[in-house]
Amino acid sequence: MATMEIRSASKNYGTIRVLDDINLDIGDGEFIVLVGPSGCGKSTLLRMIAGLEEITGGEIRIDDKVMNALPPKARDIAMVFQSYALYPHMSVADNMSYSLRLRKTDKPTIAEKVGAASAKLGLDALLERKPKALSGGQRQRVAMGRAIVRQPKAFLFDEPLSNLDARLREHMRAEIRKLHRELGATSIYVTHDQVEAMTLADRIVAMHGGHIQQVGTPLELYDRPANLFVAGFIGSPGMNFLKGDIADRSLHLRDGRTVALPAEMPATMGEATLGIRPEHVVLSPAGEAGLETTVDLVEPTGHGIILHLTLAGTVFKVLTHDRRWLEPGSSVGVSFPAEALHLFNAEGVRV
Amino acid sequence: MTATPIPTTYRRPLRQRLAVTLEPWLYCAPVLILITSVMLVPLILGVSYAFRDIQLLNPFSGGFVGLEHFKALGQDDAFLRALRNTLWWTGASVFFQLAFGLILALLLNVPFTGRGLAQALVFLPWAVPTFLAGLNWAWLFNPVIGPIPHWLAALGLMDEPSNILADPSIAMWGPILAATWWGIPFFAITLLAALQSIPKDLYEAASIDGASPIQRFFSITLPYLAPVIAITVLLRTVWVANFADLIIVMTNGGPADRTQTVASYIFTQAFKRLDFGYASAVALVLLALLLAYSMVILVFRQKLSNRDK
Repeated sequence: MATMEIRSASKNYGTIRVLDDINLDIGDGEFIVLVGPSGCGKSTLLRMIAGLEEITGGEIRIDDKVMNALPPKARDIAMVFQSYALYPHMSVADNMSYSLRLRKTDKPTIAEKVGAASAKLGLDALLERKPKALSGGQRQRVAMGRAIVRQPKAFLFDEPLSNLDARLREHMRAEIRKLHRELGATSIYVTHDQVEAMTLADRIVAMHGGHIQQVGTPLELYDRPANLFVAGFIGSPGMNFLKGDIADRSLHLRDGRTVALPAEMPATMGEATLGIRPEHVVLSPAGEAGLETTVDLVEPTGHGIILHLTLAGTVFKVLTHDRRWLEPGSSVGVSFPAEALHLFNAEGVRV
Repeated sequence: MTATPIPTTYRRPLRQRLAVTLEPWLYCAPVLILITSVMLVPLILGVSYAFRDIQLLNPFSGGFVGLEHFKALGQDDAFLRALRNTLWWTGASVFFQLAFGLILALLLNVPFTGRGLAQALVFLPWAVPTFLAGLNWAWLFNPVIGPIPHWLAALGLMDEPSNILADPSIAMWGPILAATWWGIPFFAITLLAALQSIPKDLYEAASIDGASPIQRFFSITLPYLAPVIAITVLLRTVWVANFADLIIVMTNGGPADRTQTVASYIFTQAFKRLDFGYASAVALVLLALLLAYSMVILVFRQKLSNRDK
């Protein structure tokens, strides 16, 4: 159980700056997800917290204690690796008790703690097995068991589910969430999967290019993305963007057509980008309402249909549950409810 | 009663049947002939020498003597001493080669500037012909031209600069040192390759679990290297036990047979005393001992890997 503060932390590899001026406060027991595309620095930040990477500048504090110069073992954190990093020559029980044995914990306590952790994770029948005799999901559980036996101040997860198949990932996601609710330990979870981020996090930290783009609850990021990057990264399929100039309370698209803007948006501001999520677009028969366009491609996903349209020269996706527009080549009208519009200025910042 | 027709079984002509029977053998013939002529014939001939009296200096020798050579061996003190020396020479050489090879591999596994060059240089002794290596070390130990005795004397380890190789009580250390120098690269190469295959996250996970560098070495590095160490030690032991070049060049088995190993004893018997029959018998005993040793190690290894499953 711990609070964590990251104060203008930065990381350089040689002359290349991969993390710049990172500031983040993490509350006791919070589940934080660092999300972003590969190369955004999220794993580096996690490894800096763990003590596996040096901190070039700034400070990382756990429970008000500066961690910068401390080795990993002095930080009292546990980490679950993407590759699980189980010790191959140790049995499941030995893997889980390794940290306790290093601390010279007495045997009854070790047995009790390993027993409790394995019961929680359903590993009781596997305790004597070697990691190579386990399936991917079981290894994942052992890695988690190894983390929870010693009751650390914080858990760090480095893309722990990316080696599992989709079904198992969904299952483990729910288990991690449940485990967090039971243990209540501060957790930091790194992923590139925005669905994982949305479902797991108390708060999401969206990262891009070594900078934090936005920090907020999953729904805050979904409803009010701070900039074009967050808007495009959160949500699936991604948000549609229409570029144009704003004048006379409407957006003038590149193809000359216009989209009327609601009253609370600026009447004139020059170049801008209008964003709308595929699931918020309203479809109507051609000629009745909205901008007219044709359906290029239809992707039925079962619970809905994703239509690919072309609007003002760019691909425009619509998620609908109405099966009327299944035919590629048919004409449709698209219109945008005022409350679903997101406006970004020329620098990509939300207006 | 009507006559039953005589059953006619069709039989192929003899030549055709012969061809069918021979066909697979003909396909195998090239490799069978090759193996027999290249491997089996020399082996059988060599083994047969052990049961014959073959002395180059005796024109009337060549007859079959049965187990005479082996009986003589049992009473041959020189052979028994050579057997003890072999144990000592092989054990010490392999142990030091492994120990220093492992240390070298661990050092070379740490990134530093000029590592590529250092790796290339370290593996150089491996490329030196053993004959040259032996001569080189013999000269280094020689107080007339070599520096080592003078250094040892200066350090107070020796009363006066004298030749280690001439002192019966410590002469064996000369060839052991040379063999260690020459054999370190073999262990360093194989162990370095094994070290580089250990996933880095294991060390990271262990350091987060609270393991010190020494604990990480014993709980990750060593278990990972164990199978490689087992197989290289097996190979190396057989190799070193059979390895007479350095001893022949440096001490020729002397002084007073103190550095005579079984391998060098075979060489001495065959090419100094020119008694090929007796040398063959000694060689056969060495072969049997090494085979037995290999079997033990292989069974041991099998047991170890079975326990892992």
